[in-house]
Amino acid sequence: MESLIQELKTKIIEALHLDTVKPSDFKEEEPLFGTGLGLDSIDALELVVMLERDYGIVIQEREVAEKAFASVRALGEFVLNQRKPCSDGTQS
Amino acid sequence: MNDPVIRTASCLGLDGYGNDRIGWREWPPELRAALQRDEWETLKWSHLFGSDAPRFSRLDGLSRVGLMAVELLEVDWSRLQRERVGVCVETRLGSLATDVRFLETLSPSVFTYTLPSTVIGEICIRHRLKGPVLCLLPSQGAGGRAIEAAVEWLRQGEAAACVCLACEAVDKKVAGFLPLADDPAVRGWQAGALLLSRPTGSRRESPLGAGTLRDLARRLCGRPAER
Amino acid sequence: MESAPVIASCGAVTALGLGLEPLERALRENTSGLRAGNRFAGKRHQSNVAGYVPEVVLDELRATKPSHADAPAFLLAESALRQAEQGAGDWLKAVPPARRGLVLSTTKADVAALERLVGGHSCSVPARRHVLPGLLATDLAEARGLCGPVECVSVACVSGLLALQLGARWIQRGIADAVFVVGVDLVTDFVMSGFTTLKSLDPEGCRPFDRTRTGLSLGEGAGAILLTRQTRAPSATLNIAGWGSSNDANHLTGPSRDGSGLALAIMRALESAATAPEVIDYVNAHGTGTPYNDAMESLALQSVFGERVPPFSSSKGLLGHTLGAAGVLETMVCVIAAARGLLPGTPRLRERDPAVSAAVLAEPRAGVIPGRMLKINAGFGGTNAALVLARKGL
Repeated sequence: MESLIQELKTKIIEALHLDTVKPSDFKEEEPLFGTGLGLDSIDALELVVMLERDYGIVIQEREVAEKAFASVRALGEFVLNQRKPCSDGTQS
Repeated sequence: MNDPVIRTASCLGLDGYGNDRIGWREWPPELRAALQRDEWETLKWSHLFGSDAPRFSRLDGLSRVGLMAVELLEVDWSRLQRERVGVCVETRLGSLATDVRFLETLSPSVFTYTLPSTVIGEICIRHRLKGPVLCLLPSQGAGGRAIEAAVEWLRQGEAAACVCLACEAVDKKVAGFLPLADDPAVRGWQAGALLLSRPTGSRRESPLGAGTLRDLARRLCGRPAER
Repeated sequence: MESAPVIASCGAVTALGLGLEPLERALRENTSGLRAGNRFAGKRHQSNVAGYVPEVVLDELRATKPSHADAPAFLLAESALRQAEQGAGDWLKAVPPARRGLVLSTTKADVAALERLVGGHSCSVPARRHVLPGLLATDLAEARGLCGPVECVSVACVSGLLALQLGARWIQRGIADAVFVVGVDLVTDFVMSGFTTLKSLDPEGCRPFDRTRTGLSLGEGAGAILLTRQTRAPSATLNIAGWGSSNDANHLTGPSRDGSGLALAIMRALESAATAPEVIDYVNAHGTGTPYNDAMESLALQSVFGERVPPFSSSKGLLGHTLGAAGVLETMVCVIAAARGLLPGTPRLRERDPAVSAAVLAEPRAGVIPGRMLKINAGFGGTNAALVLARKGL
């Protein structure tokens, strides 16, 4: 789980162009939105795209997204619960 | 005479940057070479302005060059009624480079920049401007109506001041799709900006002469003519 | 406003068909031009419901100009221009080409051509030119013999109203005697994909101001409005009395939640028209059907009009959101409705959201000749624009 969380931190930084943020800056329990990171609704959509592209997880409803993005840890748990195998049979 | 005047002017492009106060400065050779290679992300906000503007790399090329040109104007916004400052943009090629990038990435944040007028939003958000807005896309050979529109706003009292911006951000790859003859005045990455207002008697002001926005900005910044 | 420019004639091609007649009929019957289409079969868009111009109409236009068969932005705009020209009185014949101007309003011009170019597919010379909105404007002006000032306005969804403002100004300043303001945009894979990534589309079709609305529907088409001085076209009954625009300075894609930016644009338009809020008889809203826009817009109207919000409606369920053409086509809705003595309804609105003002019209209201109307739009980048239309003599 911990390596997944580190991986997610890096992906969030890349996907959202958070130039001045390092993975160590993320507090895992802290909310991703509505805090000093200044993330907005477009960022949420980018994360949805990232989840689909990198983890094969499709989010259709806003409520599901809000719960999943509650914090980095919440996102990690969401991904673990949802993750599908890759086409070659391995877990992504 | 109550005709609108140019309060400040700025310019930036592949060769360098400047404004009417500091004149024209060339980029360091490495940065210049990177820009010539269309590696515009190499130029960071901190190269010009000291501290990093947050989320600068989320902006597309057009918004970045436009926002930087406006920052270079060195406007003391506290002396203007921000609510009545208008923004008028002129761009021939608009968001084309970003349009192509959207086709490649289908990214939501890229999509928000697939309009030539998004740079207006960025400028207004950063400087809290709420005045009238306009974005014009002149065809080849035309141009200069951004100034005309701004002058009208000022004359009719619809704005207290106006940011006029001419900008382009098109890389060689995208230019290859376009039906234009080689026009160095248009391709590439560049912006010229003017702040117009009624005269205030400041020494830095200059009268609004004839010429396109880009030419006026270039002249006031002491930028060398293009070869 | 002194010497307010008048609306002399109009032309349109929309989801309802060619010309003003189908538009007028749909207004009276409150029907919708939205339908499920298979233009993008195989693509994963959030919705396939849009205001598509009927294929049979596009085919007709292609047949009249085979050289531009793959340049629909041009074909649609030119048709609208032609109609507006033919609908003008004899006065237009006396205006030389050098005194006729064009303002084009579009967000993406012929972006379908860009898609083909990037994909390595074939593309005619005209279509390739029309990837650039400025060249589309040039070519349209040339095709219609308009040799006066030519300009292209592109400011997201407020392009149409800003184009009308610019054209009106040219008339007032005397730099042209006849100005054709034409708005055009297409329903393309590009734009459908874009709004899909923003998750902004209603899969079933937009329902403006409805309690259960979830998103917008796109639309395509072209609308042309011919402006001139009242003295040239004395039989014209409606003029552009005032205008205004503003920026929210808040967020790129979400309007200011309190509607203050839009309210500012409205106040500026009313002031420029020397018109008090109380005398506005009807408002044609932006009303896209997204949860945020419609709520914000209702707040903006309430802040300007207080207890007495005039009857208002949205035409997005009629035509779809036609982006760069919206300001022109929706102003045309006001023109047609006023001429027929009715206030338009809001097609596809079933149950009003209780948070939206009760002044919203679901059904048209007949037997009303509005004296003054307000047309408003809001767009990406926090832009807002408003136009005041007034009957001659008021």
